[in-house]
Amino acid sequence: MKNKKILGCSFPLIIILSVILLVLIIYGLLSGPIGKSLLGQEFGPSWLHVESPRPELAPGILFHIGFLPVTNTMITAWITIILLVLVSFIAFRQPKLVPTGIQKFMEFVYCTLLDFCISIAGEKNGRRFFPFVATIFVFIITNSWLGLLPFYGDSLYVVGEGEKHIPLLRAANTDINIPFALALFSWISIEVFGIRAIGFFHYLKKFFNFDKLGSGFKYLFKGKIKSAFGEIIFGAIDIFVGVLELVSEFIRLVSFTFRLFGNMTAGEVLILVVAFLAPLVVGSLVYGLELFFGFLQALIFAGLTVVWMTMAITPHEQENKREEHSQI
Amino acid sequence: MTAETFKLLAAGLCMGLGAIGPGIGIGILASGALQAIGRNPDARGPIFTNMIITVALAEAVAIYALVVAIIILFVA
Repeated sequence: MKNKKILGCSFPLIIILSVILLVLIIYGLLSGPIGKSLLGQEFGPSWLHVESPRPELAPGILFHIGFLPVTNTMITAWITIILLVLVSFIAFRQPKLVPTGIQKFMEFVYCTLLDFCISIAGEKNGRRFFPFVATIFVFIITNSWLGLLPFYGDSLYVVGEGEKHIPLLRAANTDINIPFALALFSWISIEVFGIRAIGFFHYLKKFFNFDKLGSGFKYLFKGKIKSAFGEIIFGAIDIFVGVLELVSEFIRLVSFTFRLFGNMTAGEVLILVVAFLAPLVVGSLVYGLELFFGFLQALIFAGLTVVWMTMAITPHEQENKREEHSQI
Repeated sequence: MTAETFKLLAAGLCMGLGAIGPGIGIGILASGALQAIGRNPDARGPIFTNMIITVALAEAVAIYALVVAIIILFVA
Protein backbone atom coordinates (compact mmCIF):
# COMPACT_ATOMS: atom_id res chain seq x y z
CA MET A 1 0.00 0.00 0.00
CA LYS A 2 2.85 2.30 0.88
CA ASN A 3 4.80 1.79 -2.37
CA LYS A 4 1.90 2.06 -4.77
CA LYS A 5 3.22 3.35 -8.10
CA ILE A 6 1.54 4.80 -11.18
CA LEU A 7 3.49 4.47 -14.45
CA GLY A 8 6.61 3.71 -12.45
CA CYS A 9 6.46 6.98 -10.49
CA SER A 10 5.45 7.57 -6.90
CA PHE A 11 2.29 9.54 -6.25
CA PRO A 12 3.78 12.99 -5.41
CA LEU A 13 6.10 12.76 -8.42
CA ILE A 14 3.23 12.10 -10.80
CA ILE A 15 1.35 15.11 -9.44
CA ILE A 16 4.40 17.32 -9.94
CA LEU A 17 4.91 15.97 -13.47
CA SER A 18 1.29 16.50 -14.48
CA VAL A 19 1.32 20.05 -13.07
CA ILE A 20 4.45 20.79 -15.14
CA LEU A 21 2.75 19.28 -18.22
CA LEU A 22 -0.37 21.36 -17.62
CA VAL A 23 1.64 24.56 -17.21
CA LEU A 24 3.53 23.83 -20.44
CA ILE A 25 0.27 23.19 -22.33
CA ILE A 26 -1.29 26.42 -21.03
CA TYR A 27 1.89 28.35 -21.85
CA GLY A 28 1.85 26.84 -25.36
CA LEU A 29 -1.80 27.76 -25.85
CA LEU A 30 -1.17 31.32 -24.66
CA SER A 31 1.79 31.82 -26.98
CA GLY A 32 -0.31 30.72 -29.96
CA PRO A 33 -3.04 32.72 -31.72
CA ILE A 34 -5.54 32.06 -28.88
CA GLY A 35 -3.34 33.90 -26.40
CA LYS A 36 -2.81 36.65 -28.93
CA SER A 37 -6.52 37.31 -29.24
CA LEU A 38 -7.07 36.92 -25.46
CA LEU A 39 -4.24 39.14 -24.30
CA GLY A 40 -4.28 41.50 -27.25
CA GLN A 41 -0.52 41.16 -27.79
CA GLU A 42 2.20 38.65 -28.59
CA PHE A 43 3.08 36.39 -25.67
CA GLY A 44 6.14 34.27 -25.11
CA PRO A 45 9.46 34.11 -26.97
CA SER A 46 9.47 34.77 -30.71
CA TRP A 47 10.72 31.27 -31.66
CA LEU A 48 7.43 29.86 -30.43
CA HIS A 49 5.39 31.79 -33.00
CA VAL A 50 4.48 29.52 -35.89
CA GLU A 51 3.15 30.79 -39.19
CA SER A 52 -0.37 29.95 -40.22
CA PRO A 53 -0.26 26.59 -42.04
CA ARG A 54 -0.86 26.39 -45.76
CA PRO A 55 -1.24 22.73 -46.61
CA GLU A 56 -0.60 21.71 -50.21
CA LEU A 57 -2.20 18.67 -51.75
CA ALA A 58 -0.13 18.39 -54.91
CA PRO A 59 3.36 16.94 -54.48
CA GLY A 60 6.33 19.18 -55.16
CA ILE A 61 8.27 18.47 -58.36
CA LEU A 62 12.00 18.42 -57.61
CA PHE A 63 13.52 17.77 -61.04
CA HIS A 64 12.80 16.07 -64.36
CA ILE A 65 14.30 12.92 -65.83
CA GLY A 66 13.45 13.27 -69.51
CA PHE A 67 9.72 13.96 -69.57
CA LEU A 68 9.16 12.23 -66.20
CA PRO A 69 8.83 14.64 -63.28
CA VAL A 70 10.38 13.34 -60.05
CA THR A 71 8.37 14.41 -57.02
CA ASN A 72 9.35 14.40 -53.37
CA THR A 73 6.77 11.72 -52.56
CA MET A 74 8.29 9.45 -55.20
CA ILE A 75 11.66 9.75 -53.47
CA THR A 76 10.18 8.87 -50.09
CA ALA A 77 8.35 5.90 -51.58
CA TRP A 78 11.66 4.63 -52.96
CA ILE A 79 13.34 5.21 -49.61
CA THR A 80 10.64 3.05 -48.04
CA ILE A 81 11.12 0.31 -50.64
CA ILE A 82 14.91 0.30 -50.25
CA LEU A 83 14.60 0.26 -46.46
CA LEU A 84 12.20 -2.69 -46.55
CA VAL A 85 14.38 -4.65 -48.96
CA LEU A 86 17.48 -3.98 -46.87
CA VAL A 87 15.84 -5.00 -43.60
CA SER A 88 14.42 -8.17 -45.14
CA PHE A 89 17.80 -8.97 -46.69
CA ILE A 90 19.66 -8.51 -43.41
CA ALA A 91 17.03 -10.42 -41.44
CA PHE A 92 16.83 -13.47 -43.70
CA ARG A 93 20.38 -13.60 -45.09
CA GLN A 94 21.39 -16.42 -42.77
CA PRO A 95 18.10 -17.64 -41.30
CA LYS A 96 18.43 -19.53 -38.05
CA LEU A 97 16.09 -22.19 -36.75
CA VAL A 98 15.76 -20.32 -33.45
CA PRO A 99 15.48 -16.70 -34.60
CA THR A 100 17.21 -13.88 -32.76
CA GLY A 101 17.34 -10.13 -33.10
CA ILE A 102 15.99 -8.61 -36.29
CA GLN A 103 14.98 -11.97 -37.76
CA LYS A 104 12.78 -12.58 -34.72
CA PHE A 105 11.08 -9.23 -35.20
CA MET A 106 10.42 -9.75 -38.91
CA GLU A 107 9.12 -13.26 -38.28
CA PHE A 108 6.80 -11.88 -35.61
CA VAL A 109 5.44 -9.27 -38.05
CA TYR A 110 4.90 -11.69 -40.91
CA CYS A 111 3.49 -14.48 -38.72
CA THR A 112 0.98 -12.08 -37.21
CA LEU A 113 -0.05 -10.97 -40.71
CA LEU A 114 -0.33 -14.59 -41.86
CA ASP A 115 -2.55 -15.41 -38.89
CA PHE A 116 -4.68 -12.37 -39.73
CA CYS A 117 -5.05 -13.53 -43.36
CA ILE A 118 -5.89 -17.10 -42.37
CA SER A 119 -8.44 -15.99 -39.77
CA ILE A 120 -10.41 -14.18 -42.52
CA ALA A 121 -9.85 -16.24 -45.66
CA GLY A 122 -9.28 -19.72 -44.29
CA GLU A 123 -6.12 -21.84 -44.31
CA LYS A 124 -5.61 -22.46 -48.04
CA ASN A 125 -6.74 -19.12 -49.44
CA GLY A 126 -5.11 -17.17 -46.63
CA ARG A 127 -1.71 -18.51 -47.65
CA ARG A 128 -2.39 -17.58 -51.30
CA PHE A 129 -3.46 -14.03 -50.45
CA PHE A 130 -0.73 -13.44 -47.89
CA PRO A 131 2.05 -12.03 -50.18
CA PHE A 132 -0.23 -9.33 -51.62
CA VAL A 133 -1.73 -8.35 -48.30
CA ALA A 134 1.55 -8.33 -46.40
CA THR A 135 3.19 -6.19 -49.08
CA ILE A 136 0.41 -3.62 -48.88
CA PHE A 137 0.44 -3.58 -45.08
CA VAL A 138 4.20 -3.26 -44.67
CA PHE A 139 4.52 -0.61 -47.38
CA ILE A 140 1.74 1.59 -45.99
CA ILE A 141 2.80 1.35 -42.37
CA THR A 142 6.45 2.08 -43.16
CA ASN A 143 5.44 5.03 -45.35
CA SER A 144 3.24 6.60 -42.72
CA TRP A 145 5.64 6.04 -39.81
CA LEU A 146 8.61 7.35 -41.76
CA GLY A 147 6.54 10.43 -42.56
CA LEU A 148 6.51 11.36 -38.87
CA LEU A 149 10.31 11.71 -38.70
CA PRO A 150 11.49 15.30 -38.13
CA PHE A 151 13.39 15.64 -41.41
CA TYR A 152 10.24 14.88 -43.40
CA GLY A 153 8.14 17.88 -44.32
CA ASP A 154 9.19 21.49 -44.34
CA SER A 155 12.49 21.32 -42.44
CA LEU A 156 14.54 20.20 -45.45
CA TYR A 157 13.65 22.00 -48.64
CA VAL A 158 14.90 23.09 -52.02
CA VAL A 159 14.01 26.46 -53.52
CA GLY A 160 11.95 25.99 -56.66
CA GLU A 161 10.40 28.33 -59.18
CA GLY A 162 9.36 31.72 -57.86
CA GLU A 163 11.28 31.37 -54.56
CA LYS A 164 8.84 28.67 -53.47
CA HIS A 165 10.06 26.22 -50.85
CA ILE A 166 9.54 22.64 -51.93
CA PRO A 167 10.11 20.06 -49.15
CA LEU A 168 12.77 17.53 -50.09
CA LEU A 169 10.98 14.64 -48.40
CA ARG A 170 7.26 14.31 -47.85
CA ALA A 171 5.19 11.44 -46.43
CA ALA A 172 4.40 9.30 -49.46
CA ASN A 173 0.78 8.54 -48.54
CA THR A 174 -0.17 12.23 -48.66
CA ASP A 175 0.21 12.27 -52.44
CA ILE A 176 -2.97 10.92 -54.02
CA ASN A 177 -1.04 9.07 -56.74
CA ILE A 178 0.55 6.58 -54.34
CA PRO A 179 -2.68 5.52 -52.57
CA PHE A 180 -4.25 5.26 -56.03
CA ALA A 181 -1.41 3.03 -57.24
CA LEU A 182 -1.83 0.83 -54.17
CA ALA A 183 -5.60 0.70 -54.65
CA LEU A 184 -5.14 -0.24 -58.31
CA PHE A 185 -2.70 -2.99 -57.34
CA SER A 186 -5.09 -4.39 -54.76
CA TRP A 187 -8.10 -4.04 -57.09
CA ILE A 188 -6.42 -5.80 -60.03
CA SER A 189 -5.22 -8.64 -57.83
CA ILE A 190 -8.74 -9.02 -56.43
CA GLU A 191 -10.21 -9.27 -59.95
CA VAL A 192 -7.49 -11.68 -61.14
CA PHE A 193 -8.02 -13.96 -58.15
CA GLY A 194 -11.76 -13.89 -58.77
CA ILE A 195 -11.44 -14.72 -62.49
CA ARG A 196 -8.90 -17.47 -61.87
CA ALA A 197 -10.97 -19.08 -59.15
CA ILE A 198 -14.38 -19.25 -60.83
CA GLY A 199 -13.67 -18.78 -64.53
CA PHE A 200 -13.96 -15.73 -66.78
CA PHE A 201 -17.54 -16.15 -68.00
CA HIS A 202 -18.79 -17.33 -64.66
CA TYR A 203 -17.19 -14.30 -63.05
CA LEU A 204 -18.79 -11.96 -65.60
CA LYS A 205 -22.16 -13.52 -64.84
CA LYS A 206 -22.02 -11.81 -61.46
CA PHE A 207 -22.45 -8.50 -63.30
CA PHE A 208 -24.41 -9.45 -66.46
CA ASN A 209 -26.99 -12.02 -65.52
CA PHE A 210 -29.57 -12.51 -68.31
CA ASP A 211 -30.52 -16.12 -67.46
CA LYS A 212 -33.89 -15.48 -65.90
CA LEU A 213 -34.89 -12.83 -68.46
CA GLY A 214 -34.11 -15.29 -71.27
CA SER A 215 -36.12 -18.11 -69.73
CA GLY A 216 -38.92 -15.63 -69.08
CA PHE A 217 -39.15 -14.81 -72.79
CA LYS A 218 -39.01 -18.53 -73.57
CA TYR A 219 -42.05 -19.06 -71.35
CA LEU A 220 -43.74 -16.11 -73.06
CA PHE A 221 -43.35 -17.67 -76.51
CA LYS A 222 -44.62 -20.99 -75.19
CA GLY A 223 -47.71 -19.20 -73.93
CA LYS A 224 -47.23 -19.62 -70.19
CA ILE A 225 -48.04 -16.01 -69.38
CA LYS A 226 -48.15 -16.40 -65.61
CA SER A 227 -44.71 -17.96 -65.09
CA ALA A 228 -43.23 -15.77 -67.83
CA PHE A 229 -44.34 -12.66 -65.96
CA GLY A 230 -42.59 -13.72 -62.73
CA GLU A 231 -39.42 -14.76 -64.53
CA ILE A 232 -39.19 -11.46 -66.41
CA ILE A 233 -39.59 -9.43 -63.21
CA PHE A 234 -36.92 -11.47 -61.42
CA GLY A 235 -34.70 -11.22 -64.50
CA ALA A 236 -34.99 -7.43 -64.44
CA ILE A 237 -34.08 -7.42 -60.73
CA ASP A 238 -31.05 -9.62 -61.52
CA ILE A 239 -29.88 -7.18 -64.19
CA PHE A 240 -30.31 -4.26 -61.81
CA VAL A 241 -28.34 -6.06 -59.08
CA GLY A 242 -25.61 -6.81 -61.63
CA VAL A 243 -25.32 -3.13 -62.54
CA LEU A 244 -25.10 -2.25 -58.85
CA GLU A 245 -22.32 -4.83 -58.36
CA LEU A 246 -20.45 -3.42 -61.34
CA VAL A 247 -20.69 0.13 -60.06
CA SER A 248 -19.67 -0.86 -56.53
CA GLU A 249 -16.64 -2.60 -57.99
CA PHE A 250 -15.38 0.76 -59.25
CA ILE A 251 -16.52 2.70 -56.20
CA ARG A 252 -14.36 0.31 -54.17
CA LEU A 253 -11.32 1.61 -56.08
CA VAL A 254 -12.21 5.21 -55.28
CA SER A 255 -12.94 4.53 -51.62
CA PHE A 256 -9.67 2.60 -51.17
CA THR A 257 -7.79 5.57 -52.59
CA PHE A 258 -9.53 8.32 -50.69
CA ARG A 259 -9.62 6.52 -47.36
CA LEU A 260 -5.84 6.21 -47.20
CA PHE A 261 -5.09 9.57 -48.83
CA GLY A 262 -7.65 11.40 -46.68
CA ASN A 263 -6.53 9.93 -43.39
CA MET A 264 -2.86 10.56 -44.00
CA THR A 265 -3.43 14.10 -45.32
CA ALA A 266 -5.74 14.88 -42.42
CA GLY A 267 -3.00 13.68 -40.06
CA GLU A 268 -0.44 16.00 -41.62
CA VAL A 269 -2.85 18.94 -41.54
CA LEU A 270 -3.76 18.14 -37.93
CA ILE A 271 -0.10 18.25 -36.89
CA LEU A 272 0.39 21.56 -38.71
CA VAL A 273 -2.74 23.11 -37.18
CA VAL A 274 -1.90 21.93 -33.67
CA ALA A 275 1.65 23.26 -34.02
CA PHE A 276 0.10 26.57 -35.06
CA LEU A 277 -2.45 26.69 -32.21
CA ALA A 278 -0.29 25.38 -29.38
CA PRO A 279 3.42 25.26 -30.19
CA LEU A 280 4.37 23.33 -27.04
CA VAL A 281 3.75 19.73 -25.90
CA VAL A 282 0.32 19.19 -27.53
CA GLY A 283 1.93 18.39 -30.89
CA SER A 284 3.79 15.46 -29.32
CA LEU A 285 0.50 13.94 -28.18
CA VAL A 286 -0.84 14.23 -31.74
CA TYR A 287 2.23 12.37 -32.97
CA GLY A 288 1.18 9.43 -30.78
CA LEU A 289 -2.27 9.55 -32.34
CA GLU A 290 -0.72 9.58 -35.81
CA LEU A 291 1.37 6.48 -35.01
CA PHE A 292 -1.85 4.68 -34.15
CA PHE A 293 -3.64 5.92 -37.26
CA GLY A 294 -0.80 4.83 -39.53
CA PHE A 295 -1.09 1.31 -38.14
CA LEU A 296 -4.88 1.36 -38.32
CA GLN A 297 -5.06 2.54 -41.92
CA ALA A 298 -2.51 -0.07 -43.02
CA LEU A 299 -4.55 -2.73 -41.21
CA ILE A 300 -7.79 -1.55 -42.80
CA PHE A 301 -6.32 -1.42 -46.31
CA ALA A 302 -4.87 -4.90 -45.95
CA GLY A 303 -7.92 -6.30 -44.16
CA LEU A 304 -10.39 -4.99 -46.74
CA THR A 305 -8.22 -6.44 -49.51
CA VAL A 306 -8.42 -9.88 -47.91
CA VAL A 307 -12.16 -9.56 -47.40
CA TRP A 308 -12.83 -8.52 -51.01
CA MET A 309 -10.51 -11.26 -52.29
CA THR A 310 -12.38 -13.83 -50.25
CA MET A 311 -15.67 -12.55 -51.64
CA ALA A 312 -14.33 -12.52 -55.21
CA ILE A 313 -13.25 -16.16 -55.19
CA THR A 314 -16.56 -17.34 -53.74
CA PRO A 315 -18.99 -18.44 -56.47
CA HIS A 316 -22.18 -16.43 -56.48
CA GLU A 317 -24.42 -19.29 -55.38
CA GLN A 318 -22.37 -20.11 -52.30
CA GLU A 319 -22.12 -16.65 -50.87
CA ASN A 320 -24.40 -17.45 -47.96
CA LYS A 321 -22.36 -20.45 -46.87
CA ARG A 322 -19.20 -18.36 -46.58
CA GLU A 323 -20.42 -16.61 -43.46
CA GLU A 324 -19.43 -19.55 -41.24
CA HIS A 325 -15.74 -19.27 -42.14
CA SER A 326 -15.24 -15.56 -41.80
CA GLN A 327 -14.13 -14.24 -38.46
CA ILE A 328 -14.04 -10.49 -38.97
CA MET B 1 -20.85 38.41 -50.42
CA THR B 2 -17.61 37.73 -52.22
CA ALA B 3 -16.28 34.44 -53.57
CA GLU B 4 -14.00 34.21 -50.51
CA THR B 5 -17.01 34.35 -48.18
CA PHE B 6 -18.72 31.54 -50.04
CA LYS B 7 -15.52 29.51 -49.88
CA LEU B 8 -15.34 29.76 -46.09
CA LEU B 9 -19.06 29.04 -45.79
CA ALA B 10 -18.82 26.04 -48.09
CA ALA B 11 -15.83 24.57 -46.24
CA GLY B 12 -17.53 24.94 -42.87
CA LEU B 13 -20.82 23.47 -44.09
CA CYS B 14 -19.00 20.63 -45.85
CA MET B 15 -17.16 19.55 -42.72
CA GLY B 16 -20.14 20.08 -40.41
CA LEU B 17 -22.70 18.24 -42.50
CA GLY B 18 -20.21 15.55 -43.43
CA ALA B 19 -19.52 14.78 -39.77
CA ILE B 20 -23.19 14.08 -38.92
CA GLY B 21 -23.40 10.67 -40.60
CA PRO B 22 -20.13 9.25 -39.26
CA GLY B 23 -21.01 10.60 -35.80
CA ILE B 24 -24.28 8.68 -35.77
CA GLY B 25 -22.54 5.62 -37.20
CA ILE B 26 -19.77 5.59 -34.61
CA GLY B 27 -22.36 6.04 -31.87
CA ILE B 28 -24.30 3.01 -33.06
CA LEU B 29 -21.12 0.96 -33.41
CA ALA B 30 -19.83 1.83 -29.96
CA SER B 31 -23.21 1.17 -28.34
CA GLY B 32 -23.38 -2.23 -30.02
CA ALA B 33 -19.85 -3.08 -28.95
CA LEU B 34 -20.44 -2.01 -25.36
CA GLN B 35 -23.62 -4.06 -25.16
CA ALA B 36 -21.76 -7.05 -26.56
CA ILE B 37 -18.98 -6.62 -23.98
CA GLY B 38 -21.62 -6.30 -21.26
CA ARG B 39 -23.22 -9.57 -22.29
CA ASN B 40 -19.97 -11.42 -22.81
CA PRO B 41 -17.08 -9.75 -20.97
CA ASP B 42 -14.67 -12.58 -21.90
CA ALA B 43 -14.90 -11.66 -25.59
CA ARG B 44 -13.68 -8.14 -24.89
CA GLY B 45 -10.51 -8.45 -27.01
CA PRO B 46 -11.94 -9.44 -30.40
CA ILE B 47 -14.98 -7.20 -29.96
CA PHE B 48 -12.76 -4.21 -29.22
CA THR B 49 -10.50 -4.91 -32.22
CA ASN B 50 -13.42 -5.26 -34.60
CA MET B 51 -15.01 -2.14 -33.17
CA ILE B 52 -11.83 -0.13 -33.79
CA ILE B 53 -11.68 -1.34 -37.39
CA THR B 54 -15.33 -0.54 -38.14
CA VAL B 55 -15.10 2.81 -36.35
CA ALA B 56 -12.15 3.68 -38.58
CA LEU B 57 -14.26 2.72 -41.60
CA ALA B 58 -17.09 5.00 -40.50
CA GLU B 59 -14.62 7.74 -39.68
CA ALA B 60 -13.21 7.59 -43.20
CA VAL B 61 -16.47 9.15 -44.43
CA ALA B 62 -15.81 12.20 -42.27
CA ILE B 63 -12.28 12.24 -43.62
CA TYR B 64 -13.68 12.50 -47.16
CA ALA B 65 -15.58 15.61 -46.08
CA LEU B 66 -12.41 16.96 -44.49
CA VAL B 67 -10.46 16.44 -47.72
CA VAL B 68 -13.14 18.26 -49.69
CA ALA B 69 -13.11 21.09 -47.15
CA ILE B 70 -9.32 21.37 -47.38
CA ILE B 71 -9.52 21.40 -51.16
CA ILE B 72 -12.16 24.16 -51.07
CA LEU B 73 -10.15 26.24 -48.61
CA PHE B 74 -6.61 25.91 -49.87
CA VAL B 75 -6.61 24.65 -53.44
CA ALA B 76 -9.77 25.62 -55.31
